[in-house]
Amino acid sequence: MSGKMNVTINGAEVMADGNQTILQYLSDSSIEVPSVCFHPSLGPIETCDTCIVEVNGQLVRSCSTVLKDGDVIDTVAPDVKQAQTIAMDNILHNHELYCTVCDYNNGTCEVHNTVKEMKINHQSIPFDQKPYEKDESNPFYRYDPDQCILCGRCVEACQDVQVTETLRIDWDSDRPRVIWDNGVPINESSCVSCGHCSTVCPCNAMMEKGMEGEAGFLTGIAKETLRPMIEITKGVETGYGSILTISDIESEMRDSRIKKTKTVCTYCGVGCSFDVWTKGRHILKVEPPAEAPANGISTCIKGKFGWDYVNSEERLTKPLIREGDSFREAEWEEALELMAKKFTEIKKEYGPDSLGFISSSKCTNEESYLMQKLARSVIGTNNIDNCSRYCQTPATVGLFRTVGYGGDAGSFEDIAMADLVIIIGSNTAEAHPVLATRVKRAQKLNGQKVIVADLREHEMASRADLFVRPKAGSDLVWISAVTKYIIDQGWADKEFLENKVKGLGEYVDSLGGFTLDYAEKTSGLSKDTLIEIAKNIHDAKRVCALWAMGVTQHLGGSDTSTAISNLLLITGNYGRPGTGAYPLRGHNNVQGAGDFGSSPDSLPGYQKVYDDAVRQKFEQSWGTVLPAKPGFNNHEMVEGMHDGSLKALYVKGEEMGLVDSNINHVQAGYEKLDFFVVQDVFFTKTAQFADVVLPASPSFEKEGTFTNTERRIQRLYQVFEPAGESKPDWQILMEVANRLGAGWTYEHPSEIMAEAASLMPIYAGVSYERMEGYNSLQWPVQPDGTDSPVLYLDGFPFPDGKARLYPVKWSIPIQFGEQYDIHVNNGRLLEHFHEGNLTYKSKGISSKTPETFLEVSPELAEERGLKDGTLVRLTSPYGNAKVRCVVTDRVKGKEVYLPMNDQGDAAINLLTSSFADKDTDTPAYKETKAKMEILQYEGVNPLPRTNFRYGNPQPQIGVQVQKKWARPDYIFPGDLVKKERAQHG
Amino acid sequence: MAKAITTINRIELTAEQKRKLDLEEIETALIDNKESILQSLDIIKHMKERGVLSLLDGLFSEGDKVLNVLVKAADNAEATNTLKNLLLMVGVLGTINVQQLEPLLLKLNSGVARVAEYRDSDDDKLGYFDIVRSLKDPEINRALSLLFEFLKGMGEKTEGLERTTQLPENQDLHQSKDGRLENR
Repeated sequence: MSGKMNVTINGAEVMADGNQTILQYLSDSSIEVPSVCFHPSLGPIETCDTCIVEVNGQLVRSCSTVLKDGDVIDTVAPDVKQAQTIAMDNILHNHELYCTVCDYNNGTCEVHNTVKEMKINHQSIPFDQKPYEKDESNPFYRYDPDQCILCGRCVEACQDVQVTETLRIDWDSDRPRVIWDNGVPINESSCVSCGHCSTVCPCNAMMEKGMEGEAGFLTGIAKETLRPMIEITKGVETGYGSILTISDIESEMRDSRIKKTKTVCTYCGVGCSFDVWTKGRHILKVEPPAEAPANGISTCIKGKFGWDYVNSEERLTKPLIREGDSFREAEWEEALELMAKKFTEIKKEYGPDSLGFISSSKCTNEESYLMQKLARSVIGTNNIDNCSRYCQTPATVGLFRTVGYGGDAGSFEDIAMADLVIIIGSNTAEAHPVLATRVKRAQKLNGQKVIVADLREHEMASRADLFVRPKAGSDLVWISAVTKYIIDQGWADKEFLENKVKGLGEYVDSLGGFTLDYAEKTSGLSKDTLIEIAKNIHDAKRVCALWAMGVTQHLGGSDTSTAISNLLLITGNYGRPGTGAYPLRGHNNVQGAGDFGSSPDSLPGYQKVYDDAVRQKFEQSWGTVLPAKPGFNNHEMVEGMHDGSLKALYVKGEEMGLVDSNINHVQAGYEKLDFFVVQDVFFTKTAQFADVVLPASPSFEKEGTFTNTERRIQRLYQVFEPAGESKPDWQILMEVANRLGAGWTYEHPSEIMAEAASLMPIYAGVSYERMEGYNSLQWPVQPDGTDSPVLYLDGFPFPDGKARLYPVKWSIPIQFGEQYDIHVNNGRLLEHFHEGNLTYKSKGISSKTPETFLEVSPELAEERGLKDGTLVRLTSPYGNAKVRCVVTDRVKGKEVYLPMNDQGDAAINLLTSSFADKDTDTPAYKETKAKMEILQYEGVNPLPRTNFRYGNPQPQIGVQVQKKWARPDYIFPGDLVKKERAQHG
Repeated sequence: MAKAITTINRIELTAEQKRKLDLEEIETALIDNKESILQSLDIIKHMKERGVLSLLDGLFSEGDKVLNVLVKAADNAEATNTLKNLLLMVGVLGTINVQQLEPLLLKLNSGVARVAEYRDSDDDKLGYFDIVRSLKDPEINRALSLLFEFLKGMGEKTEGLERTTQLPENQDLHQSKDGRLENR
């Protein structure tokens, strides 16, 4: 039902759009109706009954009643007011109003505001405490049953937005409350501490612990004083009006000392944005607003609670200079002088290509831009790269070969909208938690189909409609076989191929060898499974393919990425909403670091250094002569250190000495450098090899922009002043450049962006003004500011507008000797970031996940006598690592999983090799084998029982309000009013 | 050849240097805020003279205990009732129309003045006829008609305006569309 319709509101006839609820229509028309449990991101929950209005003579909940033609709606009748008052009374029965001494008194409390709006002055059912203790067990948030109004927003968010399915309301108990799993304390449940519940809670029932005793002027009062204080406030109540006035004043006063700053998360490529609430340098909470473009109300544990590191005592606060066997703290002046002197000497003696620059996918776009400008324009070398080389460059290559843009084809909305999502080699629920929620929700509520191909049965795999476990490194084979089968069946999208794609004939020929038989033999997937996958793709109108490091970190990572894109082209799954390729960018600014030219062959905007016209454009703008020959990538720089061609290295914001593969080899390379500069927030492993260490400021201490995996550019604002003498990277880079004679004069990152945008066609219309607050842009952005949420709607960015099918061959994975019988899979955990130097600083996270661990299968445990806590040594041809085991059926057979979150003996890259993707030199991290020795049978389980992985989720749809309605003590306020009217005649 | 090293020699300030830096910082702050600091000193001097300082000292140094005592003292029916009445009175005061009240108060004042001057003696007894005769006195007559008007007003129905006794749905305030009394 859509189109215009006639309705009568409070006696006035008006026109209204169809297809909306009455509440939606009323609030859009500024007719105020209370709605305590309603949340725009959650939809109608129907628990609070405060939104009752009269529709055609019936009292109904306006949140769940759809507007119909001819409706007569009354929002002011005495019956309506009375029904709403009864509903509010029921809420106040469950919630004590002591607003002035409540930490949630910040102007956003739905209970407070509704009481005020309804001008309720006293209540007929007095507040009554519930017979439950506050649950303070979780390190990040606490639940106060006494303040809980049982609206169920938290349950809705947990069950149907985050889809961890931990929270429920126990409607069967005498006094209902929110319960975790089967009624265990929060910290012993399956709760992943994502923070959704405390974000959506309308009052102070579910609250971030950072707020407790800190937010208000009077809330820090000792407990024994607080109780009588609450009693006084209640005793004084002369009707709530006057009390609410006082608490409103207090709430306004809070604005003077609580600062709310928008920032963008740095823990993965999803690009969540949120307000950080701070008081001085204390973080009160992280609050994602509904209008946050990538995440809405969603966050994960790291984004919501993982910022303790910013205030860590271990932060670098002064430059360090190597002197003999130790570093000494130095002034900026001295450190910068030394750098300028050494860089100049080395350049003079060995030429500009003897210097290397490594930028960071954690830093801002502006900083990446300046780093490559420093390398190219000031030093004169293209030896510039960044750590997306370690993860996502192969995906970018695969997309450039086939569809022309190296970025996700659409937005998260498109992924949620797809009929079928295929996830290959991505532990999405842990590596991109907020994006994963969109898939989980679409699958749970909208019947989206999910196929997962992975070695490990991670969360997405266990939820998948079809989960397949191909042999490690065989993805290209089964994907190509499925593609061939689709073509052979005549299921290819002929019209799409004819009009929009080139190279079909040659491509079909290249698939000749990928028969189902061959694929079955090579990948281990049965022919039936392959056919089922093909059928699923054929049956779905809209298919999205998501992939990550399980695809890219192989010898043939670029080729497998290409194969995925080929499959999507054959089936016409590009250039429409709800379709396309989504290589999931790992870090917050992997996309941006690439976009802004931190790459040996590309200037900003993927413009090639060997293209004379491009170089000329940049030379004119920068006023310098630029090198035309592509430089070294990360991998080649490491080899350069060893063979002596690279003399100096400047690494910014990269723990390269731990996260590159085969780190023994990398670290040995550092030792050979003449001069090594590391710029970071902490004294990292890499920094230990440096000659000069510069203290940088993290995202909370600077402005700039990040570009997320959806190609979405978002601004971050400065939450804190830089700690100690640390500085934002862009300022440091400018000072270095200026000491080398560059004469840069940027006063604000916006000026850097303006310069970059003028040189990068895909960023043409990008400006800070267009990205104020929560506004964002998805590239390519036209000069007039029009952006591109979905790519390829009008064809592909090749001269003829057509995509290319690109034939690829399978690269046989690295072969190891027979003694290396354990396949060491590796990757991320939900709760830690990278090697962990940020997230281990969080006491809460460390209490739940104190160290890394080795997941071993029950079969392997049985065979070798492994138990939870057994200490083993893994030895690969490149090194060895020591780590304690956890036995779990997430892994199978001789497959083990080692999360990458360790800086010591369990660091995965002690085992990985220097083998790499043949096209991009991305290390083949995922092709690692080792042998296992047991060092100690008994030991402490490295994964405490308070870890969510031991929890026991309880899936259900929403809050199950029907169970509330079925309670003998529940009567719909509308019925109550009508009954009373009938009695009183 | 640069081996990994982990020793960091911090710039350790001697106690003397640190003191010097701190003093410099304070000195700058003092100079930057010269005016306000001198004035504050003046205020502090007066506070000392009046004994306010030692009082505040006691209050703040035992802050939590004092607050506890205060709160406990206030946490009884009488005190809360005082506060309650205060808040209620503030509300009621807000409903009084001072413009209309002013002439009445002026009249009340002059009445009070007369009474103050009036000497109570047995000779001045008021007889029945005196009363009737007094009706002719314009001042008395005006006072009486005023009184009758007032009585009329007092008899008007005002339950709908009462916030302490009426359910919200019965309050006039809620009968109006915009929450304003005049639009009900």
